[in-house]
Amino acid sequence: MRTQRPADGARRITQMALLTAIALTIFMAEAQIPVPIPIPGIKLGLANIVTVYAVFALGPGDALLILVARVFLGAVFSGQMMTLFYSLGGGLLCWLVLLLLSRLLTWKQIWLCSPISAVFHNLGQLLVAAALLGSWTVLAYLPYLVVAGAASGLFTGLCAQLLAGRLKGLGRR
Amino acid sequence: MNKRTALLAALLAGAVLLCAGVIWRQHSGPGGGVLARVYQRGELMEEIRLDRVQEPYSFPLTGEGGAENVVEVEPGRIRIVSATCPDQVCVRQGWISDSTVPVVCLPNQVIVEIVGGEGFADTAAG
Repeated sequence: MRTQRPADGARRITQMALLTAIALTIFMAEAQIPVPIPIPGIKLGLANIVTVYAVFALGPGDALLILVARVFLGAVFSGQMMTLFYSLGGGLLCWLVLLLLSRLLTWKQIWLCSPISAVFHNLGQLLVAAALLGSWTVLAYLPYLVVAGAASGLFTGLCAQLLAGRLKGLGRR
Repeated sequence: MNKRTALLAALLAGAVLLCAGVIWRQHSGPGGGVLARVYQRGELMEEIRLDRVQEPYSFPLTGEGGAENVVEVEPGRIRIVSATCPDQVCVRQGWISDSTVPVVCLPNQVIVEIVGGEGFADTAAG
């Protein structure tokens, strides 16, 4: 298992800035694609590729910084400040689960970490929605969001797994 | 694949199958309910008996920052016909006529849900 390795400041900040920029670009590009299923909260979540990759490549702490920066900038650039709360709620729960999974699983099981964390992302988002809307009615969407999260999470997980395999040599010195 | 991976994968698959089962059951059974409730930011704005609607009509819900959702009511069904949010998920959800799933607009914090009409008293405040 790869844990957070000591990297010098410039190298670390460059990697994090690069990953944040990539995640934000993916996020903004994905926002332009209409989702065929009209259930609130369902999306491909391609930016999650970066989060899952970062947890294993840079460590959970740096991954959290990248995630929060991307979520905040994404809300600013899309002009939808309300999405900040939903994304943050989902993102933080997703990250907590990834933190746990990064201790249980290894580099080779990114494909599995992604769908599990995606399901929890959707759960977190739904809990924030329930709190903001002041109603538990939205939990009616939970089964749909679990199935959708697992499916899209598996897809992004396989993307991250492929990416990790190819970047493995690059990440090391 | 080691044991831990297999266990976690099985748990995930189990959760997905369970949820798929719930969705399947929801859609195979008849969803009841004739009382529509419209909430905005957790506040009950309108309460409509869909079985007593004679003429189709619509009304706007205005929120902060120029946000607006227009709700359309027809005999037995209700929908959000237009919204100022960019994703338009609530509009694309279309008509609902039973309690299976509500229509939700996350950006403008609007919920349109249908609940059971049984035992409904006419004295309920709208």
